[in-house]
Order: sequence, then C-alpha cells, then structure tokens
Amino acid sequence: MTPARASGTRWALAALILAGLLPAAAAEQPADPGAGDQPGLSQECRVPGAQLYTMAKLRAVQAALSANRTLKILAIGGSAAPGASASYPAKLEAALEHALPKTDVTIDHRGLPGEIASGASERLRTMVAEAEPDLVVWQVGTHDAIARVDADAFASALSEAVAWIRSHGIDVVLVDPIYTASMAADVDYNRIVDAVRTVAAQQEVPLVRRYEALHYLSSRSDKGEGHMLGRQFRLNDLGLRCMAEHVALTIATSLARTEAEPDPKLAPAAPPLTEPQRAPG
Amino acid sequence: MRDPNAIDFWRGFALVTIFINHVPGNTFERYTFSQYGISDAAELFVFLAGWSIGIATRGRDGQPEPAGRSVVRLLARTVEVYRAQLTVMLLALAIIAGSALLLDNPLILEWHNAGGFFADPIQSVCGMALMTYQLGFFNILPLYVVLIGIAPTFVLVGRFSLLAALALSGGVYLASLVFEWNVPSWPGEGDWFFDPLCWQVLLVLGFVLQGWNLRSDTLRRWARRLFPVGLAIVVLGIVLAVTGLRPDPLMVPEPRLLFTFEKTYLTPARLLHFLGVLLAFAPLYAILAPRIGVVGGYLTGLGRNSLAVFSMGSILSLIGQLVRFQTGGGVLVDILVAGSGLVGLGFTAWFVEWRARTKSSRVRA
Repeated sequence: MTPARASGTRWALAALILAGLLPAAAAEQPADPGAGDQPGLSQECRVPGAQLYTMAKLRAVQAALSANRTLKILAIGGSAAPGASASYPAKLEAALEHALPKTDVTIDHRGLPGEIASGASERLRTMVAEAEPDLVVWQVGTHDAIARVDADAFASALSEAVAWIRSHGIDVVLVDPIYTASMAADVDYNRIVDAVRTVAAQQEVPLVRRYEALHYLSSRSDKGEGHMLGRQFRLNDLGLRCMAEHVALTIATSLARTEAEPDPKLAPAAPPLTEPQRAPG
Repeated sequence: MRDPNAIDFWRGFALVTIFINHVPGNTFERYTFSQYGISDAAELFVFLAGWSIGIATRGRDGQPEPAGRSVVRLLARTVEVYRAQLTVMLLALAIIAGSALLLDNPLILEWHNAGGFFADPIQSVCGMALMTYQLGFFNILPLYVVLIGIAPTFVLVGRFSLLAALALSGGVYLASLVFEWNVPSWPGEGDWFFDPLCWQVLLVLGFVLQGWNLRSDTLRRWARRLFPVGLAIVVLGIVLAVTGLRPDPLMVPEPRLLFTFEKTYLTPARLLHFLGVLLAFAPLYAILAPRIGVVGGYLTGLGRNSLAVFSMGSILSLIGQLVRFQTGGGVLVDILVAGSGLVGLGFTAWFVEWRARTKSSRVRA
C-alpha cells in the first residue's frame, strides 16, 4: 500500500464523491425518517444516516483510489437473500462501482464459521494473509451471539483482530448482527451488538449499523405483503437485500470524509505499515 | 467385537473431545486438551484412521492381504463415510431450518454458514453432493471421504516400500504448503476447511508407522528414547497456547505456510506438536487401562464404532448449541448438554453393536 500522492486525480475524485454523497454525509444528524435524500439507496432500503452507519477514515482505500489501483475487498460473512437475482458480493461490487465511478472493485467473499472469541479470529488472519486486501468488510457477532459467548470476551477478541488488520495498513468496516423481534429483548444479544459498536468506535473504523437499520425498517414496514414464513423472515430478506447498498453507502460516505480531511500522518514519507497497533480492550 | 485396545481407546477419547469442542462456549471446553496445544483432536482422529487402515489391510504377521481386497475394502469404507456425510448434512440443515421456523428467528439460519444454502439451494444442493459445500463444524467427514478414497494409492505403494509411500505423501504435503494447493469450495468462494492434500500426510504416517511397528522393535525403542522430547514439545505447546503466542501470517517469510499454525493446512508446527503429543501420551494407555474399567470400556466402545458415533456426535452437538442458545447457557445447561451428549454417544455405540449382533445371529439361524 503506497502512501497517497496528493495528485490532481485525487482531488477530482474527492470532488466527485463529495458531489455524489454530500446529502448522505450530512445525514449523520438525525434526518427525516424515510427521507428520499440518499441517492445510493433504493426505495425499500432507505434508512436515516444516523441509524445506518457511523463514519471513520478509510486511508488504505483512499490510497488505492488515488493510485488508480483496483480496490481489493475481502467481504466476510453474509449471504444473499433467498431468490435474489444477484449474490451479496456481486451486489456490493455493483453498488461500490456505482458510488465510486472509475474505480475497479474486486471482492473476495468468504464465510467465517466459528466464534471470534475462540478459533475464528485465527482463521480470519489466514484469510487476510491470503487475500491481502485494501479493505475488510466484516459482518461480525452472529456466531458469538448464538454460542452465547461472553460479550467482554467477544469485544476484546474483536478489538484485537481489528487492531491486527489495521496494523498491516488494511482498512476495516464492521457490520453488526441483524435485528429480529425474538432477539430484541435478549440482554446478551444486545450486549454483543453494543460490543461491535464500542469496538468500531475505539478502533476508529466505520460501522454499518445493521441492527438499527433493520429495527428502523421493521417499524416502517408493519403493513405490507405477508411472508409465507412470517414477518421476521420477510424483514430478514429485506435486510439481506439491502446489505450491499448499506455497506456501499457507508464506505462512500467514510471516503468522502477521509478525502475532506486529509490526514497529516499520511504524508508521502510515511511507510505503509506504521499505523500504530492499538492495545486491545 | 474387538477387545479393548489402545487405538479404540484413543479414538474414543478423540471423539469425546471433538463432541465437547463442537459445542462452542460451553463450560467443559476449557478442560479439553485442544485448548492446551497447537494441534488438537482432529490430528489424533486422522492419524488413528491411518493406523487402522494398516491393521485392516495387514495380518498380525505384517503380511498384507491381497491387493484387490484392500482396494475394495477401502472403496466400501469411502462409500460408507460419504453416505454418513450426506445424512448428517441433511439432518443438520433440517435442524437449523426447523429451529429458525419454530422459534421465529431467522438469525439461526446464518449459523455455521447455513445461510448460503437457504439463499441458493439450487447450487448448494449440488455442492452438498460434491462435498464442496460444507457447514462449519461439519467438515471432518468430507476430509475423511477424500482421504480414504485416495488411501489405496498409498496402500498399494506401501506393499513395495513403506518409505516410498511416505515419501510420496510427504512430497504432496510439502508441495501443497509451498504452492498453497487446496480443494475449492462451491458455491461460495474459498477453500476446504481441512485441506485433504495436506492432511493426507497424517493418514499415511499412521499407516506407515503401524507397518514399521509390526515389523520390528526399532520404532518402539526410538519412541521410548524420544519420550523426553515429546514431553518438552507438549510443555512448549501448553506455553504457546496459554500465552496466545503465534506467528503473524503477514509477517512470516515465504512460503508462508511453512511457518504459521494454521489448522486448514496442518502446518509443520501442528504436525510436529502432534508427534510430540504422540510420543508423550502413547505409553499412557498401558498404565491407565487396568485402572479405569468402566471409562475405558466406554471409550473403547465409542472408538470401535467411530463413524456412527462421530455422525451422531455432530448432530448432538448442533442440538446442544441450539439448546444453549435458546436457554442462554450457564453451567447447569452445560452439564445437561454434555451429560446427555455423552450418554447419547454411548448409546449409539451400544446400538450399532447390538444391531450387528442380532443381524449376524439371524443370519446364522
């Protein structure tokens, strides 16, 4: 990952992204629910920005864009909605190439069974070493929640894993677990969702707040067509359909912010792997 | 029915360990040896499978049975394991889907990467038959099918020279590490969780060592001499596991897989650690056997019926996970899950042997 060069291309790109996404970027403040000001989102997936993501800088992605390189993404976890015409990785690629015109995106999509708090974080390292991506988009927490892993153990393992990825100059976007009615009152489950948010904030990585977004969509779509498997399954399908768009918007918005506030640390002299490793926890 | 022996005992031990480790997060997990070393029960299981192939294809005097019979024997076993894999996969998917419906909770569909199946059943069902679609925790049997499927090659080479069989196997192993060869997953990207091209080395090692062990006393003498080395490796493994020290896969020199601790590729560190465990613990059975009557009988019973017990164990551990999830876990639930699981495994072993007995007595009648 070569450090970004402050070239004309870079600023042109920044302007492009900003122009395309300024309304969304501004939506970090609570916005009008269901507002039609999110150009990246299709009608059924619209969620106010504040309930959809938190932003953070994506320096490695920015570096890849400024160098006109292909953007390599490792997408971990998640599956397509039943009956969807395109799979999650294909949709994410399309959504990103739409949001970042002139950028070539390749996506390596892997499942990661097992708990982050035990074996899975080791397996994650393997995947990252094999793929050597610019960005890891990680849907995390579901397996640990189902295995009833202690939220603190989960948080510290996740924090360590994210810090490790970032210490190698690779960006991370986290995606928290889904919202579903039968889990809404489950204390342990909510602690896992909170842990993902806390780690994202501590490690300064963008977060797609899938739980909040689905919660919002569930409140909005009380009426509507039925689902043969019940309302929770219909909501789940909707969540899966919207995943790619939500992730793409989060990345594009975070990039706009990275471009808008160039970091002095990213001076051309800086070697690529000097991002300090933060202590886990 | 075989008399109790060390192989069945250790295989039963591996089966119990795998069962406990496949209910992640449960209280008893931390008391399994897998938590205290680089290698775990999977290595033990595959090594013993190789050793058993040696026993099955050679007489007590070390003379191999006719080549054709060995090939057919292994083919029959491959079919049997493949059938078990399909049955277990179907039941696991049904249990996951059924629980999601019953509890009105789509979250469960994502468990063990089953979501891919429900999203894309058309491709996934083909992948299931091809074994390129695997669920998390349900990936040992596909490895086993491939290993027993390719075993005839090594058994036939071994009839001429065990060393040649080992060299061939070791060559494939090293090449797979250097060039990162693995069998791809499909649908979905990625590779098999257990790389058969790497793991075959352990099966062949078991087969070859069994042959050498029959032929002369040399192997046993060396094993005794190397006992302290084995002990040292075990201690080192405990230190590494407890402190969490491991190589960073992005920092090690190329070829990367020669230096990391990855289970998928049975990297040299894991292989070496397993050999250390073998040296240190192999003598233990002779000491334990006279002292642990019922437990020994239980474990050897499991070991004698390993395929049925393993298959049942996978299903029981999945049910155990769902019970833990729905009840919220806790020590009491864990005792219930582990306890009823162990009883279930014992019952499976008893049932298989009972059925075999009644079948054979009916044939005689």
